[in-house]
Amino acid sequence: MMWGEYSIGLLLVLVSGVIGFAALAIEIDDLHRLLLLDLVEISSLGIIALLGTDLAEALVLPGLTVGIAELLALSQIYITKERLKDKPVKGLNIEVIRKADAPVVISAFLVVYGLILSGFTGGGVAGLGLVFFFMSRGYQEDLNMLEMASGISWAIWIFAFFVFMFLPQYWFVALMCAAVGIVLKVTVKMSLVGTMWGEVRE
Amino acid sequence: MSSIGGVPFYILEFGDELVYFTPYTITLFLLALVFTVLVILSRPERQVDIAFGGDAYTTKQILKDEMRFRRFMSIACGLASMGAMVTGDIFNFTLFTAMVGITNVGIVAAVKSPHVQNAAYQYGLVALSATVPLFGAAAVYAASTGSLSMIELARGTLPAVPIIAKALLVIGVVGEGMAPFYAAKAEMFRAPGAPYVIMCSLSSLLIFLRVVEVVMLG
Amino acid sequence: MIIRRISHYLCNYENIVPLFAGACALLFVAAILLLPITYHEHPLYPKTIDRNSTLDPYDRGGPPFSQVVIGVQYPENSPTAGLVTTYLTPFSLFLADRTQHLGTTIVAHPGGIIDEILYNTRGLDTVVEPTILLIAFAIASFLYRKVK
Repeated sequence: MMWGEYSIGLLLVLVSGVIGFAALAIEIDDLHRLLLLDLVEISSLGIIALLGTDLAEALVLPGLTVGIAELLALSQIYITKERLKDKPVKGLNIEVIRKADAPVVISAFLVVYGLILSGFTGGGVAGLGLVFFFMSRGYQEDLNMLEMASGISWAIWIFAFFVFMFLPQYWFVALMCAAVGIVLKVTVKMSLVGTMWGEVRE
Repeated sequence: MSSIGGVPFYILEFGDELVYFTPYTITLFLLALVFTVLVILSRPERQVDIAFGGDAYTTKQILKDEMRFRRFMSIACGLASMGAMVTGDIFNFTLFTAMVGITNVGIVAAVKSPHVQNAAYQYGLVALSATVPLFGAAAVYAASTGSLSMIELARGTLPAVPIIAKALLVIGVVGEGMAPFYAAKAEMFRAPGAPYVIMCSLSSLLIFLRVVEVVMLG
Repeated sequence: MIIRRISHYLCNYENIVPLFAGACALLFVAAILLLPITYHEHPLYPKTIDRNSTLDPYDRGGPPFSQVVIGVQYPENSPTAGLVTTYLTPFSLFLADRTQHLGTTIVAHPGGIIDEILYNTRGLDTVVEPTILLIAFAIASFLYRKVK
């Protein structure tokens, strides 16, 4: 057996994994455990990335999303469990931004440009636009709307998947649907970053 | 092809990911399907508190939105178990298993009681950390054999799967399903609402039965 | 006696995280000891690096709409795989024609084949992944609304 580059990389990642898990085993505080988990997750992404092919990129994305999704759910459980109340944190409280129309124009531009870009990048840009809008307005979040958008993007994605599988001659339609689906998904994720930050609540 | 629980009756092709039905997988699939239908149809159990030393007793009320949410989670859990039973791809299997884990957390976390919330949080931490060995195992499978398809692994023409990849896969499934931790799980069963809580138990049993088949490949 | 003590330890759900993390740490140590793992010489979806390409690490080979070979497991199941290789906006195209550094960030332009693997050849993974996201989001928002 030879020690190839792959094995050396694996050695490094596994050592970091051992360190992470050992820390997790020793830690008692619940919040610190959550933070350490995020650290441990990185070693799993490392193992996947060591594949070094296009497959690695395709596996890292689901791996990352699952980690982030579960972290989101767990941190909300933590808040409920510890009965933490919302702390009134002000939004981006800059006078000029608050009063002027600039944020609307800038975020509208970002959202439209994001829709043109479509795909992963487009979702990021459009989401950034929404984050900026929410932060500058001290927006009261409408989780229902975000939840709906998340559901719709999911449905579009499933539709695109079935077109790919059963009607492959219409692959271009499927690709566009999937691109729109991912735009919505990433937008929702990014705007969540903006809204869950916490802002003024009367 | 005898080592994957019989000859597949039917292979459904989703690109590189095959879904196959053998006598073994179809049995587990039907079990998950029947239980999911039961969850859709049944009404939740109500716990009764009896006061000691008297005749007084109260029935715990289950809020409507809480019940609906838990039913949604149980159905999702059933679908995830069905997917995990029939998928023929290692990474896809790990993803379905991770989904079983998070839906189980959801079923438990919907209950308001702080005791249950705390148990759900601890269980969620385990489920989240279990994704590390799970996805790691899938990546080592892909790197060492050059394939993720269970059908290809069962053919026996690929290099042997490292034993450590199998061990990682098993501990990941244990973490998501927490099969040996029934003692700890009993704490969570104090949550009211019978059919939904049993879904946790059944799904973890099912994914554990399936992983036994998966580690025998290759 | 010892069994009772073990089951007593397991009864306390505070202990399952250290227990599981400890088991994982031990397994990872075992993995280090068993280490040299041979990398298979014919990986799925192989990747070639062309340092002269302007899209360098994300160059999937060939102009769009001309099918390239991407080494899938079952080529007969994905007849259209390899048609979409790059996915550039007009602005990214402008940059790609002029600079060598566009490919250093995936944010500038997602590669085509990765999208194809995600949507087409390994589409079932991508179906499960947003489903998990949806479930986690449903849990978080349900609890969030309950707290309010």
